[in-house]
Order: sequence, then C-alpha cells, then structure tokens
Amino acid sequence: MNGEDPQERPEQIRNIINGLERYNPQAADILEAYLQQQCEEKFCDCNANRVLLKLYQLNPDRIKDEVITNILVKAMTQFPSAQFDLALHLLSPSHSNPGPNSSSDLAEAVSKLRVLNSQLEGAQYARFWATLDSDDIYADLTTDIAGFEEMIRLRIAQLVSQAFREVQTSVLEEWLGLDSEDEVKKFVIETCGWKVDDNGIVHVPKNPDNEAKKTEIREDVTVDMFSRVIKRSWEDSA
Amino acid sequence: MSYQTGMAPVRAIEDDSDVEEEALVADYKEQVQYGGDMDELDPGLLAQQADDIQARLVQAAQPLDYQATLETKFQSYDNYCALFHYILNSEGPVDLEPPSYYWAWDVIDEFIYQFNTFCSYRARIARQANNEEEAQILRDNPNQWGCYSVLNVLYSLIQKSQITEQLAAMRRNEDPMSVAGPYGSKNLYRMLGYFSIIGLLRVHCLLGDFSLALKTLDDIELNKKAMFARVMAAHFTTYYYVGFSYMMMRRYADAIRMFSHILVYVSRTKNFQKNTQYDSITKKNDQMLALIAICVAFHPTRLDDTIHTALREKYGEQLLKLQRGGPESLPIFEELFRLACPKFISPVPPDFDRPEVNVDPIDHHLSIFMEEVKTNMWSPTIKSYLRLYTTMDLKKLAGFLDVKPEELRSMLLVTKQRTKQLRWTDNGLLEGELVNISDLDYALQGDLIHISEAKMGRKLVDWYLRNLARTYA
Repeated sequence: MNGEDPQERPEQIRNIINGLERYNPQAADILEAYLQQQCEEKFCDCNANRVLLKLYQLNPDRIKDEVITNILVKAMTQFPSAQFDLALHLLSPSHSNPGPNSSSDLAEAVSKLRVLNSQLEGAQYARFWATLDSDDIYADLTTDIAGFEEMIRLRIAQLVSQAFREVQTSVLEEWLGLDSEDEVKKFVIETCGWKVDDNGIVHVPKNPDNEAKKTEIREDVTVDMFSRVIKRSWEDSA
Repeated sequence: MSYQTGMAPVRAIEDDSDVEEEALVADYKEQVQYGGDMDELDPGLLAQQADDIQARLVQAAQPLDYQATLETKFQSYDNYCALFHYILNSEGPVDLEPPSYYWAWDVIDEFIYQFNTFCSYRARIARQANNEEEAQILRDNPNQWGCYSVLNVLYSLIQKSQITEQLAAMRRNEDPMSVAGPYGSKNLYRMLGYFSIIGLLRVHCLLGDFSLALKTLDDIELNKKAMFARVMAAHFTTYYYVGFSYMMMRRYADAIRMFSHILVYVSRTKNFQKNTQYDSITKKNDQMLALIAICVAFHPTRLDDTIHTALREKYGEQLLKLQRGGPESLPIFEELFRLACPKFISPVPPDFDRPEVNVDPIDHHLSIFMEEVKTNMWSPTIKSYLRLYTTMDLKKLAGFLDVKPEELRSMLLVTKQRTKQLRWTDNGLLEGELVNISDLDYALQGDLIHISEAKMGRKLVDWYLRNLARTYA
C-alpha cells in the first residue's frame, strides 16, 4: 500500500504533478476526475490530491466542498500517518477552524472529520466507530468512498498484528466495529488468516513487529574511518 | 584577502570534510568582508545613478524600511516586476554581471521577505478592521504582491537559467555549461536560478505545502559543496526550512539532523560574525534550538554536545517539561512552536468585509500540529514505566497510571506506531526508509506486555580513533 505515490497513477497525472501544469487552474478538472477514480477503485494518491488542494488554495473560486471532504476522507484511510494533516495544512484557515461567528457547511464538515481522524491517529478505534454511528453527517461524508469502513477495518487489523501476539475477541469486536464475537471470528479467520482458540483468544502469527526481540546495536566500522590514521602514518614515514 | 588565493587549490584537491569546513569558514570571512564594502557605498552616488541598471540591481537587494507605507510597498513590487521583466523578457540574455556573489541571494531573499510581510500585513489589516483607509486601498489592489506572480518569477528564473539541468549534469560529473544554454551560462541567470530554488522552498513552506517544499530541493545536494553553502544566510535559511518541513511531516530524526548540522556550523563560525548579521542569525539560531527541543520531545535522541549544552542553557526548563509529556507540556509546545515557526501566510486576499472569518494562518497550522502533540502526550510516561520491566500486566500498569485498561491499550498502540518513522538515506529529501527509531520495543500477549530494550554496544573503534587523533594532534 503506497498512499503517497501509488502505482496506479497514470502518466497524465504524473506530468501534472511534476511540471508547471500543477498551477494551471484547468488541471483541477482532471485531478477531480482522478480523485473520483480513487474513490471508486479503492486506492489513494495523496500526492496528486494535494496538487488539487493547492489549486483550490490559489483559486478559491474553484473550490468544490465535496471534493475537499473526499480528499480528507481518503487521506484519513492512511492512518497513522501525516497525510490527513498535510492535506489540512493546505486548506484555507477559515475552512478548518470554524470561528464562533462563522460556520460554513464546509467548515463544519472539516471539523467533524478532524474529530474522526484524531480518534484513528490516537488508536481509539472503539470511539471511532461510535462517532461514525453518532451522526448522519458521517454517512454523507463517506458515501463517495467505496469500501471506506472495510478499508479502515483492515488497516486496524494490520496495526493490531504489529503490536499483538494474542488478543481477546471482545477487544477486537470493539476495535473493528463489528456486532458480535462470531463476526469477529469470521473476519480474523477469513480475511486476516489468523487463528482463534477455544477460549476466544485470537492468535496473531509472528512477524518482525510483534516479536519485540532483544537487539544489540553494534558499532559499524568501515575502512574509511581509518583513512586519517593511515594517511598520517604514511606522511610521517615519508 | 590574500589567503583566498592560497585556499583555492587546497579546496579543489582535498576531500576531507574538516578541510571543507575550513574552506567554508574562510568563505564566510570573505562574506563578512563583502558586507564591509557595501557599507562604504556613498548614498549620494547611488541617487545620481538611479537610472543606471547596475544601481537598480543593487537597489533590489536592499531591505525595505519596515515602516514603509503601502504606497512604498506597491512601488517596491512594481520595481521588482520591472527588473525581473527586464531580466527575463529582454531579447536574449541581458549582459549584466551581478554586483557580487551574494547579490542574487539578497535579491531573492528580499523579494520573498517583502512578499511575506506584505501578505501578513494585509491579513492583519483585515482581521483588526480598524484601518478602513488602508483596507480600501488593499481591497482595490488585490493583485499587488500576488502569489501567482511571485511563483511565476521564481519558476521563470529557474527555467530560463536551466539550473535544474545544470545541477543534474553536475551530479553526473559532467560540465554544467554544456546544458546551460545562452542564459544559464551567464552568472546573473545561473545565480538567480539557483537561489530561486531555495526561494521556492521557502514560499511553499510559508503556504503550508511541506512536501512540495522538500520536493523543490530534489536537484540540490545538501552538502558542504552546495552552492548555497558559500552564502551564510542562504545556508542557514535552507536548513531551517528543510528542517521545519521535515518536522511537519513527522520525520523528526531527519529534522534534528538538519537543525544540528547548521547549528554546529554556526557555532564554528561565530567568531567572525559581525554584529548586525549576528543579530538576525542569533534569532534564527534560537528558533532552531526551540524546534530541536520539540523534535527531541517526539523522538528522544542523543544530540551533539555543543547543541545539547546550548539547548539546556536556552530552553532547559521547557525541554524538561516537554520530555515529561502530559497536559502540562501542551502550552510549552505551543509557546515554542509560535516562537520558532515561519510567518505563515495565506496566498489569497482576506475577506475585508467579514473580519471575523479571517483566521491567522499561524493559528491554523498550530492547531493541526497540536493535534499530533496531544495524540502523543502520554508517550514519555508510558516509555518511562516500560523501561523498568521486561514483562508487565496491562491492568497493573493502568492502575499505576490511573487510566482505564482500554485507554492504556490505545496509548500503547500509539506509542508503538510512532516509533516507526521514515528516515532519509540518500537521493531526494522526500525519500527514505521506514525504520524503527526507538531503542524500546514491546508486544502484547493478551494483557501481558513483553518489553525489550536495545542495548548500545560500546563504540570501541570510535573511541580508539578519537584518542589517537588527540594524542598525535
């Protein structure tokens, strides 16, 4: 998974990103269509999406609210990473920080998404699913992104595998936002390929991250390090 | 400056980093000398030659009085436009020599500085809404110091000078002149093009586009041989913005590497710095120390001794609080960020009619940054407990910390996730390798935490070589 520079990126988009075309307001149409494609085909190109946000930053008259929220939701699926923040930095300050006196629809949507994202970044997965269910606006905001919940669930499972060797089904049930222990079992066995024992403990296969092996950092010695000593002895004897 | 001639051949042959550094120090002395020459220019003489193009070149590198009126600021913008138009759009390359080696940097630096202060000023007028007269002037002139035209100047200078192609040729050890073209082979264009790249780094950073900022430097190798290294202010600026961008991308190890490099360099050249230059350098120096403090709080690491001492002197108390974490650390993060961040701007004119909707860009970027700070604020506490054990029960630790077990589970996940960071190895600044940057690692088996700590082997060869060098020095 590479959400920054994915393989799926077509030639045309690559040229926009790397050339001066990225400043051409007309490129926005192409990038918007490309975002649509990302939403449908379940991949993510945060780099290209930032080019689009940059065009909006320079040409506020072109802003389309739902494009901005879609970009943010896409970036959110890359947690934990700086992708969501990097997108947020490109928004106009008034869009991402609704003041008490001003509140546009976009500003409200962005602040809702920021809450969601901070829960994912903070590994408060149970709270994330609860928040998602708490307000219809979230359904609206994520509706364009095909497989949003599924992507989040997979990502959480992957992160769990990097920290846990064994984990209780009840914990996973909350974290994965599933409704019953049976669903959890089905998910971890079929989708993740993990094992569940009779006591309801999920066993995660060994991997470099959940081993926590003892290591000793040794000194790297290269020939170059001796160059001065050798040079000196050469000069002295000469 | 007779020592200069003596230095030149040595610089060409030697590859040893220390010698390079000495050469840089010597270069720096030269620069200080240059400052002296400038002071002696007779202002009366300048006025007489106001129409003279050479005088205009010198003029463009001069700082604008900070209390300048809007009219003066507009005038200055027009002067820049005229000058760059002349340089870029004359028939063929103009036949001019830059007044000095440092001129090109000064021009680009001043151009961006004025753009930056203008945007900040305009935004402040809109927010405060107590100066209707100036607000009206600004409202009527939305294109003054426009972002597109500033970017346009920088990109055009880069393109005209073929500097990207020249730098690529230099990397391949080929002659840059073979790809320089009619413009790029001239000193004036080459220098302007080169420093425009660094100017772009800065503009992108000011606009909050940190990854694009780093991408801009793809063609410049950050080492002591880089052209910018010969101009102290450029050297300094480059590392500040690169380091800051890394920090905002959560690449703290890389950020610390950048800040450390330049601060060590400054401490080495401190003795020749003249007072006026020294003031601005001291300010940026302190800013970078503050940023190092922030990065070290996120990513505890061993610092260079000089920097460690300076950091303790300047921000000792703050650093302690940052490293302790928890809610008490939040105001300190905020304080240091505000003190050390660039003066962020918004590229479009503010809404003069609704002052309340104009949020200060600094608050905007700070609020995003603080979100990540809050997410991480328990990491120091967690790590300090974990270091004491090899295995630990989650519920017991939750009891020590006075939090619910499920909260602790989240904190443990966060802390573990953040130990993986992209770290630069070679090639472009954005490239890197995902590495585990912490000496502490752990994994959970149900509610049992298994903890392991990496042990540092003794660096015997290093120790031996150091002492050998000292004994025979």
